[in-house]
Order: sequence, then structure tokens, then C-alpha cells
Amino acid sequence: MLGLALVLMPFAFQMFGRAPQGANMIAGFRPYMTTARLSGYQTELREIDAGVKEGGSKVSAALSGPPTEADQRRFAASFPDFVAFEHQWTGIYPDMSRMLATIRLNLGNYEAVAALPNFTLFPWFFVAPGAVLLGVLALGLLQPAWWRVSRRALVALGLGLVLAPAVFQMFSRAPAGGRMMTAFKTIETRARVERIQGYFGDMAVGQGAVQLELVPALRRSGLSPAEVATRYPALTTFDRQWSHILNDMTPMIGAMSDNVANYRAVAALPPFALFPWFFVAPGLLVIGSATAVGGPGRARRVLDARLSEIPSSLVKGAK
Amino acid sequence: MRRTTSRLLPRTVTLSALVITATLALAANANSSATQPLSGLFRVAVGSYFRMIYPGGGKYFKNPYSADANKTYTFIYAGTDGGLRTGVLQPAPTPAFDHHGNSLAGRIIRPTDFAGINFGLATKGSAPVISVSGDRLSGQVKGFTAEWNNLSFGQGGQVTGSYNAQTHVYVLTWSSPISGGPFNGFTGSWHLTGTFVS
Repeated sequence: MLGLALVLMPFAFQMFGRAPQGANMIAGFRPYMTTARLSGYQTELREIDAGVKEGGSKVSAALSGPPTEADQRRFAASFPDFVAFEHQWTGIYPDMSRMLATIRLNLGNYEAVAALPNFTLFPWFFVAPGAVLLGVLALGLLQPAWWRVSRRALVALGLGLVLAPAVFQMFSRAPAGGRMMTAFKTIETRARVERIQGYFGDMAVGQGAVQLELVPALRRSGLSPAEVATRYPALTTFDRQWSHILNDMTPMIGAMSDNVANYRAVAALPPFALFPWFFVAPGLLVIGSATAVGGPGRARRVLDARLSEIPSSLVKGAK
Repeated sequence: MRRTTSRLLPRTVTLSALVITATLALAANANSSATQPLSGLFRVAVGSYFRMIYPGGGKYFKNPYSADANKTYTFIYAGTDGGLRTGVLQPAPTPAFDHHGNSLAGRIIRPTDFAGINFGLATKGSAPVISVSGDRLSGQVKGFTAEWNNLSFGQGGQVTGSYNAQTHVYVLTWSSPISGGPFNGFTGSWHLTGTFVS
């Protein structure tokens, strides 16, 4: 029963389809799940934020006078795309910052999961011991002379199952993976990805307004490019860094989008925290059964008793 | 008898001539409405553009660098080949991008600024096949790709359009959903116009 259960469990949980999707997700996130990369994104967001704030304050004052209500209206009328983006940014920045902070907080959890054996192998961790268990049991029953060896093999197999989670540090890594999955629940969704895609469109329009409207207006006011850069460093940085920001952020949005389905597949697996126990529990049962059953005669009697409950036509081959 | 035959002969000849003429006219007409492949160059001229539609439709991506007052239209202009060729591929060069992610694929269209980075067009794998039937164009541009920011977006699809056999002026349109990557769920909408040169 136990051997069959181990063999069948991956099929029951659709692990052969879902586990490789988990492997794809881990691989897909890998380029972005580094402290350097995540810090880079946070720096880029701060650069945009500083540029937007400078645009809405110092630049606005320079182009439309002091920040009276009338001047602000004049600025908004002259630079509608920038002002619209300035407004949108008040929602984009905290949302993106929170998302990046969440991802960064889970860097350790990601690393723990990534350090586990490749997800693609996971179903085989159940099928292989199950098949070995069934094989050894069959060998011991059909060849009584091998029973003692078979029992020892079963105990070894059980020990292997019990120790495997410890060897792979599953007791710490699997719950870490569970925490990451929980944290990413609100990030790896189609709706969230589409929202980020929308932000991207808003940011593109905002940067365009800086480069095509604000900076030319500053130039028309008599400032040279060097003077614009010196007086408005944050706006200039946002503008100059834009292609780098695009180079950097676009693939991350792509990875988020491409892994929505993979995340769903992994989330549909049993909770990560239970994974070590899927090894330990069968392992203990195998050890317990192998030591409790006793010699081949008793095992054979137990088997015969079970077989006698089945119609004789079906068990002819087994006997 | 001879008189009758001599009377009938001109009528028979006339009737035969009429039948032959009508058959030829029908054949010619049928031939003109039959589907014929157009192998050559679809020159990309002023009036050609690209638009990108957000997932779910209804909203277009604004390209601040568009030359049009309506920033959801990004005009495209002929590249070094003059436009889109049927029957042959127009691949991207190697390398396909500069260090800013600007596309260097400039054969079909001149790389054009889209949100701060130039995009170019190329055909890969499957050469475009476009046919004319009467004044209607149809075909496929399966291998059509847009290259932008170090990424290649499959933008192939079934094309439809119109063609004036006298002036060779054409209009080709198609839409292509983007699957995967940062623009997953968006749809690219293409409108090419110009003249066809065989």
C-alpha cells in the first residue's frame, strides 16, 4: 500500500506537470533575485521619484513662477502630460516600492527554495522509493532466501527517506519556500502584471514629457544643457537614465508576466512546509513495517491470508 | 441545299465568333479575379503606422515620441530596402541592438523611437506571402517581428488589404497579439501603405 501510495502520489497532485513549472519559475526569477539587481530597481524608482518631485517644484517654479494656484494651473496647462504623470506617480511609486520591498524581503526565501534539488526531480523522489519498495517487497516474498536482505534494504530505504529532508535541509528551506509563495500571492497575478504594464506606459509618457517638453522649455528660458543638468540634477538623471531603466525593468516585467501560470501551478501543489514530512512519514512506516513483519514465513502467511480474501482465479499467478 | 448551306455558313461563323469572344472575355474576367501572388516589394510610405493596444482592448499605448498629435499612432517610414518584401526574408543584423537596446533592424522601416528606445522590423523564419484577388489583398506575414529593447516580439498574422492594379497603391493591415514577455496581452496593430513594386 505504502509503495503504491508513493508511486501514485505525484500523479494525484499532478506533480509531473506542476513541478517542472516550479523549476521554470525558479529559473525565471533567478536573474532578478539578487541584492544588486533589486537594489538597482529601488535606486531607479528613487531616481524617477526625485526627478518627478524636482519637475513639479523647482522646474515648475522656474517655468511658471512661484507656486501659486494660478501658476500651477498655467504649468498644468503648458505641460499636461508631465502633470498627469506627476499625479499618477503618487500611486505608482508606493505600489512599486512595496512590491520591490516584498520581493527583497523574500530574497532569502527564494535562495532557500532555489537551493533545493531541481523541482523537476520532485515527483521522482516519491515514485523511485515507491517502486524500489514494491520491488524489494516482491523479491523478498517470491524468494524467501532473500527475505533477510530485503528487510535490510527496506530499512535502508526507510532511513533514506527519513534522512533525505535533513540532507537537503528541507525542514528550513521548504517552509521558506512556503513563505515566498505566500508573499508572492498578490504579486504573481495577471491583474497585478497588467497594472505594472500600465505603470510602464504612464512612466514612458512621463519621461517623454520631461525630454520633449520640460527640458526644451528650460532651454528656451536661456539655459544651456549643462546649466539644466546642474540646476535640475534629479530631472536630468531621470531623463538620462530612462533607457537604462527600460533596459533593466522591462525584462523583470516580462519575467513576472511569464511566471504567472508557473506560480499558479506551484501554488496548487501541497503546502511547501509539508514536503519534508512526505518523506519522513513514509520512511518511518517502511522502517516500522520491515522490522515488525518478522521472518519470511510470517510475511508469507500474512500475504497468503490477504490473497485468500481475493477470488482464486485472480491470485493463481501470485502463488 | 447548296444555297441553304451558303446561307447558314456566315451565321455559323458569326455565332462561333460570338461564343469564342464571350468565352475569352469570361476567361479574362475570371483570370483578373483569380488569386495571384504578389512577389516583390511593398514600399512603406507616409501614412504607415503602428499602434499598441492594452490587454483587454479599448486603450492604446501612448508613445510620447510619436510625431502625430495623437500619440497612440507611431508613424513608420521606409528602411534601406524601401519596405516589406514578399518571398524573401529581411532578417535583423548581427548584433540586432546597440548598447541602449535600440534596434538596428533597418531594412523594412527606419528604426523608430518608441517610448525612448528605437524599434525596428524584421522577418524571420517564414517569408511574407501576399496575394491579390481583384482589388483585395490577403496573405500572411508569420515571420514579422518587432525588435525593441533587446527583445524580439512576434508580430506575425494574417494580413488583409486593398490594391489598385492601375496605380499599384496598396493598404495592408493586421493585428497581432503579443504572447509572453513584458507586453504579454497587448496587441500590435499594423497599417502599411504605399506602392507595390514587382
